[in-house]
Amino acid sequence: MTEVAQAPATARFNGREFLRRVGWLESIGIVGVGLITLIAIFAPWLTPYDPQLRVAEAYLPPSATNWFGTDEIGRDLFSRVVLGIQYTWLPGLAVIVFSLLLGAVIGLIAGAAGGKLDLVIQRIVELFLVLPSTLIALAVVAALGPGLLNTMIAIAIFWWPWYARISRDEIRRLKARPHVEAARVAGVSGPRLLLRYLLPGTVPALLVAATLDVANIVMTMSLMSFLGLGQPAPAPELGAMTSRALDSLTTYWWLPILPAALIFLMCFLANLAGDGIRGAVRGA
Amino acid sequence: MTEPVLVIDNLSVTLSRDGRANRVLDGIGLSAAPGEIIALVGESGSGKSTIGLALQGLLPRDSQPNVTGSIRIDGVEIIGARDAQLRTARRSLVRAVSQDPMGSLNPTMTIRRQMQESAGSATISITDWLARTGLADPERIAASYPHRLSGGQRQRVLIAMSMMVGPKLLIADEPTTALDVTIQAQILDLLRDLAREQGTAILFVTHDLSVAASFADRVLVLYAGRIAEIGAVRDVVDAPAHPYSAGLLAARFDFASDRLRPLPTLPVERARPPNVESACAYAHRCPMAEDDCRAKRPPLLEAPTHNGTVACFHADKTAQLVRQSGTAAPWQVPDVQGTAIALELFEVSKSFIGGRASLFGPRRTQQVLKSVTLSIKQGECVALVGESGSGKSTILRIAAGLLAPDSGDVSRVDKVTPQVVFQDAVSALTPWLSIGEQIGERLRPLRLTATERRARVAAALELVGLDPALMHALPSELSGGQCQRAVVARAVVVPPKLLLCDEPISAMDVSLAATTLNLLGDLRRRLGMAMLFVTHDLAAARIVADRIAVLHAGELVEDGDPDALIAAPRAAYTRALIAAMPKLHAEAGQ
Repeated sequence: MTEVAQAPATARFNGREFLRRVGWLESIGIVGVGLITLIAIFAPWLTPYDPQLRVAEAYLPPSATNWFGTDEIGRDLFSRVVLGIQYTWLPGLAVIVFSLLLGAVIGLIAGAAGGKLDLVIQRIVELFLVLPSTLIALAVVAALGPGLLNTMIAIAIFWWPWYARISRDEIRRLKARPHVEAARVAGVSGPRLLLRYLLPGTVPALLVAATLDVANIVMTMSLMSFLGLGQPAPAPELGAMTSRALDSLTTYWWLPILPAALIFLMCFLANLAGDGIRGAVRGA
Repeated sequence: MTEPVLVIDNLSVTLSRDGRANRVLDGIGLSAAPGEIIALVGESGSGKSTIGLALQGLLPRDSQPNVTGSIRIDGVEIIGARDAQLRTARRSLVRAVSQDPMGSLNPTMTIRRQMQESAGSATISITDWLARTGLADPERIAASYPHRLSGGQRQRVLIAMSMMVGPKLLIADEPTTALDVTIQAQILDLLRDLAREQGTAILFVTHDLSVAASFADRVLVLYAGRIAEIGAVRDVVDAPAHPYSAGLLAARFDFASDRLRPLPTLPVERARPPNVESACAYAHRCPMAEDDCRAKRPPLLEAPTHNGTVACFHADKTAQLVRQSGTAAPWQVPDVQGTAIALELFEVSKSFIGGRASLFGPRRTQQVLKSVTLSIKQGECVALVGESGSGKSTILRIAAGLLAPDSGDVSRVDKVTPQVVFQDAVSALTPWLSIGEQIGERLRPLRLTATERRARVAAALELVGLDPALMHALPSELSGGQCQRAVVARAVVVPPKLLLCDEPISAMDVSLAATTLNLLGDLRRRLGMAMLFVTHDLAAARIVADRIAVLHAGELVEDGDPDALIAAPRAAYTRALIAAMPKLHAEAGQ
């Protein structure tokens, strides 16, 4: 009984292996999402011109001086699009994070408590899930009045139930696993069992769902703005910019197309990143 | 001399995991005659299952396999063959029977349809084949879905499905491990008869030398992806030439093993030395290794003790090694054996509510325990033996307080709740928490300082033979055997009066099982714990326990001293269990 087994070398991060597991296209997505977030945060310092001021003649096509051309009152479209990334991307992330935290906690409570409480929470969650979310969100914004915060509230109300359901199911699955039973036999109970033994197990599934949802949120927020329910007019929100310039599609194509292309790019990269994270989590 | 159906020549396989290439098989050579049964024996990680996969061209693509050498089945080269050729080979030349028959059957198809599909264009009477595998009601089986059949029936269906196309080679990867002991022997007999009739060679992958001994013609002992020894199975069992084969045989326990002292075991696996290319892979564990073993790789030489071959420079000394084993000091007789009771179950019964028979029908209840009365004295070890479904795990869960009985009394004297050693140690550890934190959970109520707690955890790890530095490791960084020790350390860091073990050795290879039995035997005597040891292995029960209780269909059918019970079983069920035990020297004894 005195044989002493040696500790193995700790596994180190291996870049090439990560790339193989995630896939190169998905890796671009993950890097791209990081870049977009950086651009969104530092947008005010990245714009070549002041996005709110007239800097050149109106309706100039894209050129070396104004990369995306200028809009109907001569503002630099590139500067407005860069700032628009901030206006679209950061609120989207905020809605995701808020819904994720709320949903995870409610799901944790339902899954851990079981019984009557679980039943009640489940029905509430289902109530939110069966309502046509976009339509109700539009109604909520219409009632509260357009504005960034109201849009975020309206979307978050309909987003957290998805995470609550995932979290609750994961908790229920984990509770039946031998390692949780073993922890209970060892005397672990209460909040410690919840936070150390159950909650971490739900992170992979929630993370994957949230990453894949970023694109959805960006689309929904752009849709709200497009319909005129987002931020008020001067704000360079990408959906709103597309919407307002739609009339000029045949004459000044860059005005609606370029902001819309940015929305597409953000959603595309976020989806790729979500796929990549799913691959990494599954392979682990 | 008939043409061999299988010729493997200098087969090497490299698989990558987490970006690191790992040579899993190294220079394997083997040929098999029609109808010959060859056992591949080795511990987990020796590469024995990889040979089976390579023969079918089924190495996982994810691990970027690099295969060199040659595999010819009935003259068809498998290595480098195109997918279409491999599919044809898998349909008619090489078939496989796996450990998990449910996983190999399609749950959405009847047995008949699956067998038709498997037969392809060949006209085969499915019911005839099902009858040939000893299935009583072939018409009913053919019309059934897999979930309606028992484990043994599924394995028979799989065997019928594999053998009906008359393959040249059958790969049987631990086909009986998941089955009850009484059914194991029948399945092996069936496989042997069919192989002889059809001239099908069988590669039988197992970690159990005694099963190999009762079943195979020849045995190939694998160690770290290399051949350690090949020979006729009788020869190798009677006179092993490689020290590893000798160690495996010594670690085997059966009804004849000495239960008054620790079992002989192989030295614990350590990290393999890096320059194994030019050395014997076993040198770092070998008790008789010399300098040349670490400087040169031993080729396959003629064995001094039998007609086979062995990869060892000093094979002539192995016989001496065998004679030296089995000299451990006997266990000390525990002196805590009093009249005080550690656990008492009085007329405990338990039913589970199952599914409905029909959509609106009443729920079926299944009575798992019918009035079981069992008591364990302090410091005593009772083994609870029974096959799957007998209710033995339910008793353990009731004793642990994880389940409440429907009726009857459970009394425990101790304030420390009984601790449980689970069957699958890896899944009984939380993957994202360090070993030390999980062991330390049991110390929380004591309100120790962080330093004191760390010291107690380190002491517990040392007690079970683990490096205390492992307290910072995650379960995934430990081997299966190390995980089992960590689970035991968690159970004994605050010694309970009662330790409950739920089939702790059923998934282990021989050497690891013997090591675990020694560890549990040592700890319970040193810490004065009573123990309930649930198992389906009567030989293990005899070695570990002071008393054996046999459970059959929810009732205790027999209870007594291990040796007396095995020598003169009273219940019919106990007799069947004893008769089904594979014996190492079976033919010699007949």
